[in-house]
Amino acid sequence: MNLQLTELQRDALQELMNISMGQAANALAQLIDAKISLSIPKISLVAAAEFQQIFSTDQYWFTRQSFLGSVKGEVLTLLARAGIETVGGLLHYALPLDERSEKELLLELANILAGACLRGFSTQLALPTKVSMPTLFQAAMRQADSFRWSSTLLLEVEFQLEGTAFDSRIVICLEPQSVELLLEKLNKLLED
Amino acid sequence: MDLTLLHEQLHNRLPLGICLLNAEYQVLYWNDFFSDRTGQSSATVQGKSLLELFPQQARYLKKKIDSVFVLSNASFSYWEHQPHVFPFSSSRPITGEETLMYQNIEFLPVEWAGESVHTICLVVQDVTELASYFLAEQQLSARLEQEHAELKALNDKLSMAQNQLLQSEKMAAVGQLAAGVAHEINNPIGFISSNLQTLQDYAARLLKLTDFYEKVISKTGNDAYLAMQRDTQQRLQFDFVRQDLPELLSESIDGIERVTDIVKNLKAFSHVDNAHWQYANLVEGLENTLKIAANQLKYKVEIHRDYAADLPEVYCQPNQINQVFLNLLVNAAQAMEHKGHLYLRAWQQGQSVCVEVRDTGPGIAPEHMKRLFEPFFTTKPVGSGTGLGLSLSYSIVQKHQGEIDVHSVPGSGASFTIMLPVAGPASAASAVP
Repeated sequence: MNLQLTELQRDALQELMNISMGQAANALAQLIDAKISLSIPKISLVAAAEFQQIFSTDQYWFTRQSFLGSVKGEVLTLLARAGIETVGGLLHYALPLDERSEKELLLELANILAGACLRGFSTQLALPTKVSMPTLFQAAMRQADSFRWSSTLLLEVEFQLEGTAFDSRIVICLEPQSVELLLEKLNKLLED
Repeated sequence: MDLTLLHEQLHNRLPLGICLLNAEYQVLYWNDFFSDRTGQSSATVQGKSLLELFPQQARYLKKKIDSVFVLSNASFSYWEHQPHVFPFSSSRPITGEETLMYQNIEFLPVEWAGESVHTICLVVQDVTELASYFLAEQQLSARLEQEHAELKALNDKLSMAQNQLLQSEKMAAVGQLAAGVAHEINNPIGFISSNLQTLQDYAARLLKLTDFYEKVISKTGNDAYLAMQRDTQQRLQFDFVRQDLPELLSESIDGIERVTDIVKNLKAFSHVDNAHWQYANLVEGLENTLKIAANQLKYKVEIHRDYAADLPEVYCQPNQINQVFLNLLVNAAQAMEHKGHLYLRAWQQGQSVCVEVRDTGPGIAPEHMKRLFEPFFTTKPVGSGTGLGLSLSYSIVQKHQGEIDVHSVPGSGASFTIMLPVAGPASAASAVP
């Protein structure tokens, strides 16, 4: 399937994401009582090989979480290994983190960030979805040619917890059919 | 068909715990999964705070629930991290080994009032089966890993032992060869040595005879004879020969004596001579052994001796004891890479004689101390030590019912003390023919 994204569609999507991510960051800031800065959302269509490059780092943990509803896909969360203790403190975890509580923290954090992003995305576009439990993801073992798809749409946002070394990247990946649906929706919005 | 009733029946048949809460944490409804396990029906808990119903878990539950209200998003609890949030007993009370239920919990937003969540639903999943399977798997894999590591260590040890065995076989072969050569050399050395003694005697006589002739010629006072004698002696450089001949001979005899010594020692150390029990002077043995080890010690080691006088002879296997000395001396020599001092001491202590070999090498690392007498333990690079020296020494001393002691201060040398009973071991004494 050959997916195309016009300049107009990209801009619209970026703007929508920007609004929803801002709301997500606000909610998060409330919860952990810390300042959060956001990057401008990045929208891109990528092939499997490019997608695999997301995982070519050892600075981050990865979690994945699938969502299901009017659109389907997965949210990947990259959580910086640096500064994770500080975040643990903000979320009232006992420090230093042991292996178990570290995993618990990672999954909770991923759920908060990815959930907020996804919710923003689906409310703005009126595409309701339900998200499942996040799990830790050992991505390095996957080969690019083992994916069942050839290209996918990525919606990517970076969170930075101010005053700490911690940052996180949320990547919403849509399966091809859902991308079509999303583009239809976008076109309608643009026509209005 | 009454759909509401059907729904309710369905809820109560689900293998999941379902509990609805409002924003004040008050229970609106829970299904039979909860009532069966708490003994409280949905109607009795309605309006009660979930946090008060489960006070032990209140803090954790509140945190998870608050997160749903604040973020308007589902939150989750995993059995790996929080196995027993609700204190429900295991679903396998008879056959299972777990006492508490392992749970995954989802906290889902279900009703909205405008932008904010109004009602949330807890979905509790009993994952005891899965969890205990997973835990068993984990234990198994940990055990496998440990066994694997043990096997690997054993393998390494085995291959090292094999290396060392090969080395020690090589050493034994060299030893046998040396013994054979020594045996062969022994005869010619014997007659060369006795011939040289005889030659020395003959040469002395010849020189005496020459002196006598010189005197006779000078007595004649015949100038012609005297001149002839002077010319001949000059031509033959006889003055030099007369002076050099005895020196050459005595040097040769000295040399051949040294060769005899070496051969004798080689024979003593080869396994050709079987070790028999006899009374022997340990200091003599130590000194003889020093000669064998001389070329390892000669250039770099200064030897200090401190032997008590009148040491009694010890009933022992002298060759074996010398082997022990050799091991200690060679170890000491090898420990001292550059210049060093070797202190040899012998004294009597009660009914035993003690011999101490002390060096000024780098000493022995504390972690090696325990393993020192272990067979095949060596700190020398592979191929240069057998790892058998000290273990052999230990077994020899044990056989003598003696003791071998080590003291070492890392950085300032090591000392080995051997203590042997004068009377020898009881078993050997009774075995004496």
